Amino acid sequence: MLLIVTYSQAARQTLRNVCSSHEGTVVRRFGRAALFEATELGALLALRLREKHGGDVQVERTEPFNEFADAPDAVREAAAAYENRDATSTPYAKFVAGTDHPSPERLREREL
Amino acid sequence: MRVELDDGVRDGRAVDLRDSDFSPATVDRAVGDADWIDCADPGPVHERVSPVVAGSTVAVRAALAAAARSRGLASPVDDELAEARAELANLNPPSVDCETARRRVAEAGEREAALAERVSELRGRVEALETAAAEGDADAVDDERTAAIRELSEVRTERIAAEQALRSARETARAARDARDRRLRLEDRVANRRRTAREHLAAALASEFADAVDAVPGEGRVTDPPAGFEGDPVTAALAVVRVAAVDAPVVLACDRFERPSAAAERLGAPVVRV
Repeated sequence: MLLIVTYSQAARQTLRNVCSSHEGTVVRRFGRAALFEATELGALLALRLREKHGGDVQVERTEPFNEFADAPDAVREAAAAYENRDATSTPYAKFVAGTDHPSPERLREREL
Repeated sequence: MRVELDDGVRDGRAVDLRDSDFSPATVDRAVGDADWIDCADPGPVHERVSPVVAGSTVAVRAALAAAARSRGLASPVDDELAEARAELANLNPPSVDCETARRRVAEAGEREAALAERVSELRGRVEALETAAAEGDADAVDDERTAAIRELSEVRTERIAAEQALRSARETARAARDARDRRLRLEDRVANRRRTAREHLAAALASEFADAVDAVPGEGRVTDPPAGFEGDPVTAALAVVRVAAVDAPVVLACDRFERPSAAAERLGAPVVRV
């Protein structure tokens, strides 16, 4: 899908207008951002916004995230284990100390 | 005020120009430009209500807030508003432009794909010619393939360089967008504080405005204080002038007063009747 983020009041207003008049192409709306369908119409709307508002419009292409394909088991397991921890006040770094779960530093270094 | 016309000068707090052919807008402009009307500078109240023309609309809350300002009233958010405005004025987000970098990556990618295809096509031809025992031809095609491989490697290097340039352009863009983010938040804050200030200021004059609506001629009433008004907008405009501290002449193009002097007196403001 196409992620559109706006960075000015005028661009945000145009995005709102586009969203109201092209509901079929808009997958989701957030305050100043929206997801468009990855169709040529979606691209046309995104490019029109950028043409009109230049650097105040950011367009990114997004991909669905499949945790079973895109994230290593260790990350998935660490997330599940941390969210099921006993003491809710334990920060992640402390939680993984002395376990096999990856440390925040290690996670930060590794690209998906 | 002092109004200079071709046939002489008229002055005083109430000037009648009904015998001339001036439009309300022309006279209002002359008040603003201090051109042939010599008078005090008009302020935000004028912007909201002058000229008072039958059939025009008035944003009552904003006009009332301007009236409050003209009387020297302030709102509790004025400092915050000024701060946000000042920061906004000093904020100049750098431009965000990755277009050139994106185009370069796309073009290099396309050329690379085309060359890779050509290399594999030439490899196929070399193999076919070798099988057909046409060694001479095969050598010639092989030379062509070697040249294509060399070119491919160059284009691949260019593609990688282009991708690096794009990555770095995106990093720069991210910082520029942080500044734009900040600007948007400030714009929203200014709009928000302006609204708050306006509400506060309008509320400060609510009861005076309601009295003024009764005191000026014409139908209308305050339905939802401070600024909920029902009736002829001319009445609202006149009432705003009455509660405001107005030094510059208000241009009146409405039949509410018998004489301009009566208008000036009732409104507590200099007037030009057109």
